[in-house]
Amino acid sequence: MTTKRDLVVQPAHDLGGLPAGPLVRSDHELTPFEKNCHALLNVLSRHKLVNTEEKRRGVEDLGAQIIGELTYYERWAVSASKVLNEKGVITSAELGAKMNEIRTRLREAA
Amino acid sequence: MTADPHAPIETAAAEPDYFDVLQQAIRELLVEKGLIEADEVRAMIETLDAHQPALGSALVARAWTDEAFKERLLADGTAAIEEFGIENYDGTKLIVLEQTPEEHNLVVCTLCSCYPRPVLGLPPDWYKSRPYRARAVREPRVLLKEFGTDVPEDVTIRVHDSNANMRYLVLPMRPAGTDGMTERELAGLVTRDTMIGVTTPRLP
Repeated sequence: MTTKRDLVVQPAHDLGGLPAGPLVRSDHELTPFEKNCHALLNVLSRHKLVNTEEKRRGVEDLGAQIIGELTYYERWAVSASKVLNEKGVITSAELGAKMNEIRTRLREAA
Repeated sequence: MTADPHAPIETAAAEPDYFDVLQQAIRELLVEKGLIEADEVRAMIETLDAHQPALGSALVARAWTDEAFKERLLADGTAAIEEFGIENYDGTKLIVLEQTPEEHNLVVCTLCSCYPRPVLGLPPDWYKSRPYRARAVREPRVLLKEFGTDVPEDVTIRVHDSNANMRYLVLPMRPAGTDGMTERELAGLVTRDTMIGVTTPRLP
């Protein structure tokens, strides 16, 4: 049983040594969305905007429920947005406006 | 059930995916702010596509046929892959672990998905899965059996937990009976999984 202490000392990402089921040798070709996310985060790291540790911490801060629901690269995208926001590189208002602009553009193109 | 042929033609496009819009928005904002170049993400996708496990296979075959290179590879992995012509594009430190008759090395990232991307490309899904990350450090011998790899009891298994700045590549043992093979033929024996340490090279 998970105790309150366990939640504190062993956060959701810290899996080493925990019980787990049989290995499934799964793999898949990355989708364009996944490749874009991967490349974006590499570029952010190159420019010291979001490094690997910050990205991982951003994912961990999402909490167990979101980590469980979102796919691997969905977590990366959200983590990047939150870390950039915390660092004052982009504001929530800018991000929201840009997302609306892109949605409109995509709907018009469809 | 067959769709009704008289149903109205669907004109409404699917709502754009939230996360896809999010990643595009981050990229466009940073380009507008002059913090990244307009073409940089596309160029990075090309880099990702160019880095496949074949690079690691060629590297291992070179180490099998050139003892001096192997020594340099084991002494300083990052310098040796650059000497070999592989761009260390993510700036991580590479440590190369040699399989021996006494020691079997296995690579994992228990916290997430760190992986030697410049030499092996992107990790397979199972490498990022809970069973692999959780069990590699607790019961590696049992886990390796699930990959069809039997490590004899008298061979020590060493598990290496990767992190953001330090990545591991396994240098498998050259199989017996390969003396007459060319470097290129040897590279064909070196699969991605042998360089993670979950399997060992086999003759075809």
